[in-house]
Order: sequence, then structure tokens, then C-alpha cells
Amino acid sequence: MASSIVLEATGLRKTFGQLQAVKDISIRIEQGETYGLLGPNGSGKTTTISMICGLLPADGGEVRIAGMPMTTTTLEPKKIVGLVPQDLAIYPDLTARENLTFFGRLYGIPSATLKSRVDEVLKVIGLLDRANDRSGTFSGGMKRRLNIGIGLIHGPSLLILDEPTVGVDPQSRNAILDSIERLAGAGIAVLYTTHYMEEAERLCDRVAIIDGGEIRAEGTQEELVRLVGENDRIRITGSGALATAAERLRTLPGIAGASAADDQLSVLTGDAGAVLSTVLQELTADGVAIASVSIEKPDLETVFLHVTGKALRD
Amino acid sequence: MLTALTIARKEVAQRLRDKSFLIVGILSPLVLAFIFNLVLGDIVRPDPSLTFDFGVVDEDGAELGGAFGQMLAAAEADGLVTVTRYDTEAAATAAVDADEVAAAFILPDGLSAAVLVMNQDATIRVVGNVDSSIGRAVAEAMAGRFAEIVRTASLSVQAALAAGAITPDQIGAAVAAATAAEPVLAAATVEVRSRQLASATFFVAGLGIFFIFFIVGLSVTSLLEERTHGTLARLLAAPIRPASIVAGKTLASIGLGVLAMAILAIASTILMGAEWGNPAIAALVILAAVIAAAGIMIFVGGLARTAEQAQNLQTVVGLTLAMLGGTFVPITTSEGFLASVRYVTPNAWYMRGLGDASGGAYGGAFQAIGILLLFGIVFGGVGLLLVRRVVKP
Repeated sequence: MASSIVLEATGLRKTFGQLQAVKDISIRIEQGETYGLLGPNGSGKTTTISMICGLLPADGGEVRIAGMPMTTTTLEPKKIVGLVPQDLAIYPDLTARENLTFFGRLYGIPSATLKSRVDEVLKVIGLLDRANDRSGTFSGGMKRRLNIGIGLIHGPSLLILDEPTVGVDPQSRNAILDSIERLAGAGIAVLYTTHYMEEAERLCDRVAIIDGGEIRAEGTQEELVRLVGENDRIRITGSGALATAAERLRTLPGIAGASAADDQLSVLTGDAGAVLSTVLQELTADGVAIASVSIEKPDLETVFLHVTGKALRD
Repeated sequence: MLTALTIARKEVAQRLRDKSFLIVGILSPLVLAFIFNLVLGDIVRPDPSLTFDFGVVDEDGAELGGAFGQMLAAAEADGLVTVTRYDTEAAATAAVDADEVAAAFILPDGLSAAVLVMNQDATIRVVGNVDSSIGRAVAEAMAGRFAEIVRTASLSVQAALAAGAITPDQIGAAVAAATAAEPVLAAATVEVRSRQLASATFFVAGLGIFFIFFIVGLSVTSLLEERTHGTLARLLAAPIRPASIVAGKTLASIGLGVLAMAILAIASTILMGAEWGNPAIAALVILAAVIAAAGIMIFVGGLARTAEQAQNLQTVVGLTLAMLGGTFVPITTSEGFLASVRYVTPNAWYMRGLGDASGGAYGGAFQAIGILLLFGIVFGGVGLLLVRRVVKP
């Protein structure tokens, strides 16, 4: 049904000097849907959402919010979009309540309902008991939650979260993800960018894998996993020339892909049991000291590796 | 407008919380003014009654000497000056050196004959006391004004002599008649009286406006800071016009500037005995000065790319204007580089406007207000065009 489409971005393009940051990206999100943009840093996620929010003029393409065209000068569609930027965008000298009240006023929430709305959001983000403390005194996780609360204050139809859990401790991250799940359950359309595969897997109904400014694959998690042909992943932790070893492994029969990052080596294969001993022998021959080995079923990281040829953390 | 007020309110709350307003707008100028007044008060403190002790040596002993003496006597009768007559230039100079008089007029021998009969140039010398800059300035102004009057009178007398309307023995009476109605001392003294603030008022006003430049400069620097900290993007993502953001910040900075000056004026009146004259006129001068400062700081900040750059530029400009405009120490000279450039600064017009408001010369005060507003409009207008690129999505 056309009326349930909250965001429709078509053919977005953006170039900075010689760098083509976004190449022909199209996204469509329906009411109540959580859509993930999964990609490494510098893949074009933030540029894409900047154009969607009307913060950056697009060189080409079009953005429509609930059917209304969004540009840098239009105001009406901005009323139903909530933005949670990647960097903390809060005023540390103001209390949590003052931060929310200020942005509530900017979004035109009537004074009569503003206080109750602020209380409601404080409750959602778990800061009701710290409402009157200056946000500068908050922990990193609390600041992140306030950052999200500001994006929610006006009850948006579309909430855009740009890597909202970067630099957050595991407990706070969990609290943030819980909040987003509740919001999505309440019918808000969510556009969620991340480079954490597990977040995309947990939250998103559909995921687009973005790399080099373009969407390389899109679909539900199941649809994406099918793309890699049900490959298993052998994850090896160790030390030594992992990058060189990954290069050699790619040439072996039965290996669909291999990549190294930090102290980890990922190997994609149709049958992990069949190739495991060969892989371990090769690594030993290359002088890699193996600390641990695990075999995992296909997931979004596997998909990413498959469609881009590199790991998410590369 | 409502959006701009919302942003202004947030801005004011932030400035009050981070103590920048209290420290930069109130405490710094007040404490420094107190110290400056203690240390330098004598330099700018005029005689409360605004009378000056002058000496005169009439070596001419003829018509012009007599006319000048009559003018001094008239001013003395009005209570504007006290006059001591000396027989020789050496005696007058010694009196000046001994601080007995602020300045001495030397009317040289043959002055009348040279000017009135031979139509030659001649000089009335003023020997000034280095410690009485104001008295010296008044004496110079009086001598200059007398020279103008004499020049006019001389032309009349020459013409009358040539036409045979008077005889040489009637020159004295003709000169006396031509110069009798000229208020030479009053003109100079009123000017000085109207533009001279009492020392406590001078330092509070001067240091106040110096620091106000930094308070109002925050409008642009906070905009650049918001860009750095990411809150500007959040503001721009809201359904508001970018112009509202700039308007809100400008409103807040002007409001805080006026508030700081109001607190300074009240505090200095109570604590230091500062005198501001007509409160309404003084308030208008202050408001106009804050607007001028805001305009200039928006312009200067608009040239910068980062908040740090803006602060550095604003410091240089604020300091330069304060020094050139005579807000740290008064500029008493009427000649030279400083005298030429001081009125290029809003600081000088602000001090002059306050001086005029204090002395009851309201015409002068309104002129200063007009010029200060012009500073604000011109620089602020160009500055806002420059700042547009900061808030451009």
C-alpha cells in the first residue's frame, strides 16, 4: 500500500571533489520496518543519511518522506524525521530535560504537552531519574541514550540512527538496542546504519550491504544468506602473517573466500569439515601460531565478505 | 521569531551556566575598572568643578592684549577659570612648572601692531602643564578660538581703516566691539565638560565595552562550535530556517551584552560612585554600542573557519579598537594619528556618547547613538552574509 511507505530514496548520488561518495543508492522503508545500512567506515552511510535528512544536497536522485519531497530547504518533511547523529549532538551545559525541551520546542510541540512528552521520552531512554542533571556529567552510554531521545522527542514517523552505539559499553549498547526494538514494535520506521553485523542481525527486517558508496546487496537476512550459497565460515584466531596466509588460502580448491583482520582469519567454504585440516596445515606451514578455531554457519558478515571480498572490519 | 527566541533562550542559559558571562561580562571589567581607577584615576579625573587655573602674560599691552584680558575676565566671572597675571614669560613658565596653573597664555610684544596694523601673522603661545592634559587642551582651544575671532575682527578693522571710517586711535574700541560678544571660553569648556567622564565611570564604561566585544562575539563562535560538536547538524535537521539559528544567537549575544552593561552600570554606581548622567540616554548609548560591537564581531567571526580562529581574530580586533578608541586611557590630544583614527572606532563614539549623556549634551549623545547603530548595521549586515555559509546545509 503506497501510503505505508515512509521513506523512498531513489538514485541518490553525491560527489566530493574527485571522490564519488554515493553512487545511485535507492532505499525504500515502510511503516514499522527497521532497515539496516551495513557497511564499514567510509562506505557512504553517513553521506546517504545526510541527504535523506536534508542536511546535504544530493547531486542526483530524489528523497521522499511520506510522499513529500525532501531537500535542504523543505521544512514539512523534517517534522516527521528524527535524526540521531553518529557524534553526540547534545548540549553538555543543559540538563537532560532542558536538552529535550529545547528540541521539542524547535519541532513545534505545544507547551501544554511538551512536559509530558519529555517525561515520556526520558522514561523510554531510561534517564527519568537523571532528568535534572547536566548531560555533561553523564556517562558515555547515558549521553548516547539522550542523543537518541532527542531524535525521538517529536514522535517521528521515521527515525534515522547513524551508528548510535559507537564507543558504548556492552550494557548501554544492549539498553539502546532494546529501546530501538521497542520503537520499531510501536510502528516507527527505522533507518539504522552500523558496521556491527550482530546489531544489523538483531534489529533489522531488511539490510542493505553498502560498500564504496553503493549498495552491493539488499534483502532480509535469509535472502542475503542465500546469496552466499550457504557457505560455512571457519574463524581462526592466531598470530603471524595472517594476511599472506589468507591470500594463499584463497587459491585452494573448496575455499570461497578468505580475509584477515587484526588477529583473526575468516575462511568461507561450502563444507568446513572437508577443508579444515588442509587450512590448518597451510597456516602451520606459513608459520601462523593458531590460538583457536571455530566453525560458524553463514551470517551477515559472511555475506559481506562474499559480496565485497573483504571483512566488515577491513 | 518564536524559533529565534527559543534558540536565544537556550544560548542565554548556556552562557549563564558556563560562567563565561559572569567572568567576562561582569567580574573582569568591574575588578579591572576598580584597579585602574585606583592606579590611574588622577590621570583622567577632571577637577569636579571644571574650573581651570590659567596664567597670562600681556607683553603686547595693546588692543589685542586688552581684548584677550577682557575675555578671560568674563570667563573668570562665570566661574569657568581663574586667571593669574604674570609680568614675564619666565614667571608664568615657573608657575606652570610648579603646578600653580594648568597653562599660561603668552601674548608677545607687538601682537596688536603686527596683526591689526601691519596685517602680519603673529602667535599667541600656550605653555601647558604636562600633568594637566585637559587644562592644556582647554587653553589651546581657547587660544585657537581667540585667533579665529581676531582674524575676523582684523579684517573688519582693516576695512574700516582703509575706508576712513575709523582713525588709528579708534582701533582699540573697534577690536573690543568686534570681540566682545564671542563666547570663546564657554565654547571650549562646554565641549570638554560634556565629553569628559568621571574617572570611575570612564574605566567601567571603557573596560565594560572592551569585554562586551567578547560577550557578543560568542554569537558566531558558538555557531562554529556547534558545527564542530555536531549540534548544528541537528538544528539544521529540525524544521526551522537557518536564519532563525543566526537570529537567535545574535539576539542572545546582544541581550547578554546589554545585561552585562546594565549590571556594570548599577554595580559601579553603588560601589565606585560612577555617574552616568541621564539614565535613559546612557542606556540608549549602551544599547547602540552593544549592537555596534555585535555587528563588528559577527563580521570578524564570519571571516573565520573555526571557533578558535574566530576567537583569535575577535581578540585582536577588540583589543585594537579599544586602544585606538581610547577606552583604556583617554586620548586628550586633538592632533596626530590617534586623534585622526579614534573616531573610526565605535569605542570612541561610545565613550563620547556616554560623556555627552553625562554632561547633558544630548545632541552629541544622539549623534553618537546614530553612528554606533550605523556601525552595527553595516558590519552586522556584511557579517551575516558571511555567516550564512556556516549554517548552509
